[in-house]
Amino acid sequence: MFRISLFEFRIYREIMLVENIKAEFNLYKNQAEKSDFFLKREEAFAEFEKVGFPTTKNEEWKYTNLKNITNQSFQSTCESTIETELMLSHAFLKDLTANKLVFVNGSFRPELSTIIETDESIVISTLAKAKTAHSELFNKHFGKYAPIEGQGLNAMNTALLSDGAFIYVPNNKTITNPVIIVNIADSTDVNVLCQPRNLIIVEKSASLTLVETFYAVGNNPSFTNVVNEVYANENAHIEHYKIQNQEGESYHNNFTQIFQEANTNINHVTLTLSGTLVRNNLHFFMNGQNCNSLLYGLYMPHGTELVDNHTRVDHAFPNCHSDELYKGIMMDKSVAVFNGKIMVHLDAQKTNAYQRNQNILLSNEATVNTKPQLEIFADDVKCTHGATIGQLDEEPMFYLRSRGIPADVARKMLLNAFADDIAERIKIPELVELLEQEIEKKI
Amino acid sequence: MLSIKNLKAEIEGKKILNGLNLEVKAGEVHAIMGPNGAGKSTLSAVLAGRADYEVTEGTVDFDGKDLLELSPEDRAREGVFLAFQYPIEIPGVSNANFLKTAINEKRKYQGLEPMEATDFLKMMREKMELVEMDKSLTSRSLNEGFSGGEKKRNEIFQMAMLEPKLGILDETDSGLDIDALRLVSEGVNKLRNKERSFIVITHYQRLLDYIVPDFVHVLYKGRIVKSGDASLAKELEEKGYDWIKQEVEANS
Repeated sequence: MFRISLFEFRIYREIMLVENIKAEFNLYKNQAEKSDFFLKREEAFAEFEKVGFPTTKNEEWKYTNLKNITNQSFQSTCESTIETELMLSHAFLKDLTANKLVFVNGSFRPELSTIIETDESIVISTLAKAKTAHSELFNKHFGKYAPIEGQGLNAMNTALLSDGAFIYVPNNKTITNPVIIVNIADSTDVNVLCQPRNLIIVEKSASLTLVETFYAVGNNPSFTNVVNEVYANENAHIEHYKIQNQEGESYHNNFTQIFQEANTNINHVTLTLSGTLVRNNLHFFMNGQNCNSLLYGLYMPHGTELVDNHTRVDHAFPNCHSDELYKGIMMDKSVAVFNGKIMVHLDAQKTNAYQRNQNILLSNEATVNTKPQLEIFADDVKCTHGATIGQLDEEPMFYLRSRGIPADVARKMLLNAFADDIAERIKIPELVELLEQEIEKKI
Repeated sequence: MLSIKNLKAEIEGKKILNGLNLEVKAGEVHAIMGPNGAGKSTLSAVLAGRADYEVTEGTVDFDGKDLLELSPEDRAREGVFLAFQYPIEIPGVSNANFLKTAINEKRKYQGLEPMEATDFLKMMREKMELVEMDKSLTSRSLNEGFSGGEKKRNEIFQMAMLEPKLGILDETDSGLDIDALRLVSEGVNKLRNKERSFIVITHYQRLLDYIVPDFVHVLYKGRIVKSGDASLAKELEEKGYDWIKQEVEANS
């Protein structure tokens, strides 16, 4: 008897968040206009109902168990109560000259945001506004890149997205200063669910520097579920930085699909500094020749944190180049997962694709699960992949110490040097400085 | 300055040093020669404090301090400098930053303030000239992509910057062409003075044509079996090590 009731209880717990989502969607459904946008969301909701949250039975989620998220209840329509200044004091890069879009619990906060771009043909706005103000662009691109099918979390985001950035850079234009999307999860009063949805369109020969930052405040758990769709038209150039530093009980899932036309150049850096569970899904699709895709990442989990980076690069056309390097500094009982997939399609001759994952374990109790993957269907390509997991080498330590540098300082120097491979991919000096400070704090 | 008494050391249970004695006074240059496997590199490793060697017996006194009790960094800050036989590459750590850290850590140990940036740069410029180091090398990562000769010159440059009381050159001549050997030796000779001592470990006499030692010792089976002046090195060059080995076997 006892066993059965315990089992029933567990089932009930696991569907808690699903019930939340259903109730919330029904609420939305009753109020919504029956537009194309609504139909898309209804379709996404149906998919979510069908597939639900991924479990560890799914190969792609083998090492990342979401049960601590799905057995809790979260609210996605709550007001943030803490003072604005306090919020922003948590925000990175507040001194950087940039266009800033601030979202608190998924809602846009115009009074905290600043747009300094003066070119009126460039749009730095929100998804909610763009839906009507730029409906043609919105309808052309929204939901076209991030897949819903079989992707419960993407479906959930599409069905119940809160708001997000809408950025449009027309042909031959450059946004002079970076655009920073600041996302704050404020769980002071309740468990909070934030579902930002960003749509970034960079047209022919245009360029953009984009920084996404994530923070959390408050003592209750927060769950941030982001979907980014980035469209790069021919010859576009995008610098994309994602900095995730959500302290406290914070769960984070991010799906970024970057769709590249010919001759585009994308540099993406993912920095995961803190979070209870962080899953980054970063997908590139090269839809033309001579694309260049650069994916770099650094993670430094401590305590019992889990960081999972799943990347996928689709080389669908010839003569494209991709380079990927993810590095991890593992502390305490933390866990990292790396799964990098490079798909070289049948027609993608002369592909150059490189992938590496390197990890340093600073503790005997840390775990790394790494799986670099190459699937090649073309026959004239240059591809390499590899992964390493190790400790800080004795030889460099001894060399530095033999010059009078104490062991703890030497260790920091070597870890900074390890992280430097990623830091040097960042083209915003303020961000490099910030990263150095964070490394200093963490180790 | 340095007094080694009955030093015995082993690695992974294998005995390498078997009761080595050596006295080095301030300003002296001692050459340690010997056949392969005699324990030359073990001696330098033990003096610098490498953890994989275990000292089982004996004492090493360095200016009144028990050297064997000190961590590698404290030995360095007390004034011991080891020029490595195989200096390793450390990508991501710049030469300049590394040296600044090393110098300021030593100053901190001595209770001094960190060095002013301008003084540091001036010092770097002066010392680079000693070994004709290219300026561009200092902004690069430590030894990364350096040629064999550049790595050895960088060791001597570091020694010049850190101004040790005792410099240990571990087979610094290995793998050097004659020009690099001359540059490295000239650098060392310019660092010689009344206070500073050197232990020059080498397999070949060639280096000692350039760095003329006050004493030459032959290390064999973990002990010093013969000592003399610079002429002993010449004799070894002509006659090899076999006669020494025979002498040792005959006496035992």
